[in-house]
Amino acid sequence: MSNPTVHDQLVAALKRCDVGLAASLPDDWITPTLQRLDREPGIAHIRVAREAEAVAAASGAFFAGARSVAVMGATGLFTCLGELATLNLRHQIPLFMLVSERGSRDDHRIYQEVQGRRIKPVLESLDFPYFRITSTADIEELPHAYEWCRMQKRPVIGFLARKLLKG
Amino acid sequence: MEIKETFGLMARHTDDVIVVCALGMSANEWWQVTGSEDTFYMHGAMGFASSFALGLAVAMPDKQVWIIDGDGSLCMNLGTLLTASGQGPANLKHFVLNNGVYQTVGGVPMTGASRSSYTAIAAGAGVERCYTADSMNALSAVLADIKKPGHCFIDLQVERDDGPILAPPQPFEGPEMKYRFGRAMERRFGIEVFGPEGY
Repeated sequence: MSNPTVHDQLVAALKRCDVGLAASLPDDWITPTLQRLDREPGIAHIRVAREAEAVAAASGAFFAGARSVAVMGATGLFTCLGELATLNLRHQIPLFMLVSERGSRDDHRIYQEVQGRRIKPVLESLDFPYFRITSTADIEELPHAYEWCRMQKRPVIGFLARKLLKG
Repeated sequence: MEIKETFGLMARHTDDVIVVCALGMSANEWWQVTGSEDTFYMHGAMGFASSFALGLAVAMPDKQVWIIDGDGSLCMNLGTLLTASGQGPANLKHFVLNNGVYQTVGGVPMTGASRSSYTAIAAGAGVERCYTADSMNALSAVLADIKKPGHCFIDLQVERDDGPILAPPQPFEGPEMKYRFGRAMERRFGIEVFGPEGY
């Protein structure tokens, strides 16, 4: 049996978080994770047309007693800041998000640069906690982060590093 | 159709239904007509109450979920129809309150309202069954039909008003809305939304 990939490990960690619903819009770094999610029988996967839909769908699932996650790229996160503020912050709805850390120092795509430079200061201004996921050890810690998110009662963002996803 | 009469009829069909209202006229009028504390009245994220309802519907496939959307809200997130049809949720019923104006900001006409068809858009997006209700008799027939499983879209053609809507908003806001709705879900369906420590 082959060794689990980082995408296998991420999905396994979400299972340990008791996540039963994922909502996503692809970014090329996380596409293999989303394809892996599609094959996971215990997790309903909603593929959305715009990232803010993922925010709202995962938030709705919260009220069904389901644990959920929204998955997207940093550019997509930038597009749904208004919804995160007026849905999750206003109603104190926890939302666990896994976001590819586009625009990082090792992401040499000019069209990602502004998002990478500005997204974290913007999250700080909204008082949305975030952390980086750079290693297998960090993936193992995701259940703690998930519980922490529930207690925070607001969006908590785990940034998936390029090194982790792309090697 | 007159909106209060429309909602009065719809409310008689919601015994085992989870209702989500988009912000503005939908939420304000539903609250005024029903006083329902089992409903989620979205206070923000205009356009995305339908996506919120989809998350509920996918997570609770054995319960019927209604989204009462506004036409302004729907137009802000037309992609929701594609996303929902991609899931094919047999328990999701998407109503749109169609009066052709942004009612709560003074009855400002919506762009393209006279040249478009929401049922055609929904059908084109792949929604399984699409209805137009332009009379109370038609609405009665639709409400009976949507009890059958299937992803449904219902265009509620309600009267326009040239002034701002006068219905008051529900008298509770964000965090209280969360806990009222979450506790109602726990009470109605025997699920656990909040943990033992209340969060």
